[in-house]
Amino acid sequence: MLRKSLALILTLLLVAGIFTGCSQQSTNQTESKQQQEQLKEKELVFAIGAEVPNLDPQKATDTYAIMIGNAVFEGLVRVYDGKVYPGMAEKWEVSEDKKTYTFHLRDAKWSDGSPVTAYDFEYAIKRLLDPKTASEYAFQGYYIVNGEEYNTGKITDPNQVGVKAIDEKTLEIKLNVPVKYFESLLSFISFMPVKKEFVEKMGEKFAADADKLLYNGPFILKEWKHEQELILEKNPNYWNKDAIKLDRVRIPIVQEVNTAWQMYENGELDFVGIPPEFVEQVKNEGKALFYYDGAEFYLQFNVKKDGKPWLANENFRKAVGFALDREDYIKAVLGGVSDPATRYVLPLLSGVEKKFAEEYPYEFYPKKADPAKAKEYLDKALKELNLSDPSKIKFELLTDDSSRAKMSAEIIQDMLRKNLGIEMTIKQVPFKQRLELMNKSDYDVVFAGWGPDYDDPMTYLDLWVTGGGHNNTGWSNKEYDELIKFAKTTGDFKKRADAMFEAEKLLLEKGPIVPVYFRQRAWTKKDYVTGLVRNFIGPDPDFIYADVEGKN
Amino acid sequence: MARYILNRLVISLITAWVLVTIVFFLVRLLPGDPFLSEKVTPEIKQNMIKYYGFDKPLHIQYIRYISNLLKGDLGYSLRYKNRTVNEVIKQAFPYSADLGIRAVIFATIVGITLGIIAALNRNKPLDYLSMFIAIVGISVPGFVIGPLLQYIFAIKLKLLPVAQWKGFAYTIMPTFALSLGSIALIARLMRASMLDVVNQDYIKTAKSKGLSPTQIVWKHQIRNAILPVITVLGPVTATLLTGTFVIEQIFAIPGLGKFYILGIQNLDYSMVLGMTVFYGLFLIAANFIVDIIYGIIDPRIRIGGK
Repeated sequence: MLRKSLALILTLLLVAGIFTGCSQQSTNQTESKQQQEQLKEKELVFAIGAEVPNLDPQKATDTYAIMIGNAVFEGLVRVYDGKVYPGMAEKWEVSEDKKTYTFHLRDAKWSDGSPVTAYDFEYAIKRLLDPKTASEYAFQGYYIVNGEEYNTGKITDPNQVGVKAIDEKTLEIKLNVPVKYFESLLSFISFMPVKKEFVEKMGEKFAADADKLLYNGPFILKEWKHEQELILEKNPNYWNKDAIKLDRVRIPIVQEVNTAWQMYENGELDFVGIPPEFVEQVKNEGKALFYYDGAEFYLQFNVKKDGKPWLANENFRKAVGFALDREDYIKAVLGGVSDPATRYVLPLLSGVEKKFAEEYPYEFYPKKADPAKAKEYLDKALKELNLSDPSKIKFELLTDDSSRAKMSAEIIQDMLRKNLGIEMTIKQVPFKQRLELMNKSDYDVVFAGWGPDYDDPMTYLDLWVTGGGHNNTGWSNKEYDELIKFAKTTGDFKKRADAMFEAEKLLLEKGPIVPVYFRQRAWTKKDYVTGLVRNFIGPDPDFIYADVEGKN
Repeated sequence: MARYILNRLVISLITAWVLVTIVFFLVRLLPGDPFLSEKVTPEIKQNMIKYYGFDKPLHIQYIRYISNLLKGDLGYSLRYKNRTVNEVIKQAFPYSADLGIRAVIFATIVGITLGIIAALNRNKPLDYLSMFIAIVGISVPGFVIGPLLQYIFAIKLKLLPVAQWKGFAYTIMPTFALSLGSIALIARLMRASMLDVVNQDYIKTAKSKGLSPTQIVWKHQIRNAILPVITVLGPVTATLLTGTFVIEQIFAIPGLGKFYILGIQNLDYSMVLGMTVFYGLFLIAANFIVDIIYGIIDPRIRIGGK
């Protein structure tokens, strides 16, 4: 036995040694040298919670890739703090019918010294839509003529897609219908240019490492130590390099929010998200900052569920909506961080000129519960359903399997019991399984959420049209469909916004959705960090114009 | 001897094949599929299913997987889209192994020392202290001890960096946190074993020979008492080397620990399979080599194993 164990240990160590052998004998010397140089340089350091799964612009989907992509790539335009600015395109014209865009590119270089051309954009957009790329975000290109047809295999000739490089410096994009937010959409990572020769040379390995990508943004990705750290350095070839103040951005990957917090406290990070249990304390110190991350959460009803006719009843859904105390919910579940959703459209989304919520102020549900009104709607519903006793109404809430989801469901359960006398049961499943059950319309009510894909109320509103790819509620309303269709095709942006507002009101009155909250995040930063923008859509944080003057 | 080796090799390969096959089919039974996301539409999902060859019948996929596996190719991760599982393991395992080896060495030295101190001072304060440390070590989980260490040594005392893996100073806290459970295990075992040995006849003989107490302890008691400790070191080493989710997470170490769990959460089939194969082969290979060495050392095994 002794010999056997000894042999086993030695073997394990040996095997481990073989595997370890090829690893890096850390670069301690260069590191300390680097550290000395860093003292002179302006370096911003912050942590992200997971490895960036993919930096291939046309395949990337997650928030970290979008955030890094914003710094190392540049699309035709650049969106900063919600406004559109020229990017690789110096200027552009829009045709009379608002369906044809002509972009004129500036002189700009890839990190290998070659020029960024209109051909790179044409190639990138066609690559996004090519079914063989299997891009999850291909739908972002469906506004372009024949984009959807090409991606879904209805046509196979990429030359029929409405994007064309007229010459090296001119790119033309044709849309199916006028799209108000098209310019800002072009700053999305899916539309970042890629150079054909380079992509083809790299093959499957394209974008797998820092040296397997070309950069044209304000920064270049200098090092990508997978699962460990990303290091960005100022791009000396960037056309607007004088506006960039940071020399380096170091982004360690730290999964645990509490570890990141301790690193911040220890001076190892320049800004950080505040773990829930510290929010109160940081708030009292006057150091807590808040921003909307764009996500909205709501109860989604399956109106076609067999044997549960109340789910199809508008008045019942409204009874639930008024029985929820959104303020108490946020206090209990989210430590007070977030905003009650008293309407459906996220208040920050753009309207015609200003924010949609400023142009169309509205409040359908109150912040606090309104038990009287909830009862009123419940009585109406019971009458319509020929029921005498609310305790006959039973349904199940489908939600994720995290402890926070559990608490969230239990609070809702409690509010409905107290304000309506209704018993709601809870079903917790893993995230992917929840999505699967939703896709199959195999649920009563689900606690779901949505984040915006572009800066326009439409990103929330078109979810619920009849036959919409994400509408698994069974809800179908002709008037709603027509309002959305009108808004999606008209070139009159005022009328368009009016129609969207009508649609929103209709959805709240009759639709399958009961909004609960607009999510906010709490964060804090060192005083020397300036110019950092937190976004509810697109890249967050946007650090390209940030500064750390006075850090050292 | 050659026949014995061949015999062991065949058994190892069959074990590996059974393992891979079971996991290959089991992972498909998990509800949902890898391409489910909040945004994806059915048509786009179809593109992705086709791209990864999941539209083919399951047995074709299985044959393809096995034939790739025989070439040592674990396939592309479905989440880290342009990295193969081989690359992920090659990059992450050295960190886990590095941390694991440190923890094994530390746990062995400290555990044995604590056990000896406890046994030699049986029922005295030093014994109670050592065993108290051991019990704390075994009952305090990593997610408590980790942040506690960070708070004391990084935030308050400013002696060590909070997290990451960039040099010796970075290794101290995770090594300690990871080895704590094993220290406790080894210390208790060592103490029990020492007390057992002290009543053996050869200790009495040694005493009657007139050896000094120090000589008895060093030459006879410890050397004999250490045997059962070495027995448990085998499994302890294997556990510590292959990466630990909690400690790696808390100290932001880019090791292998999280990939299994994340793989299952994301339904990253190739990652789950690849990790299973890796862990499985790691242990099977180790056992195989042990069996061989054992056969060489002890001919009875070789003959009996036929």
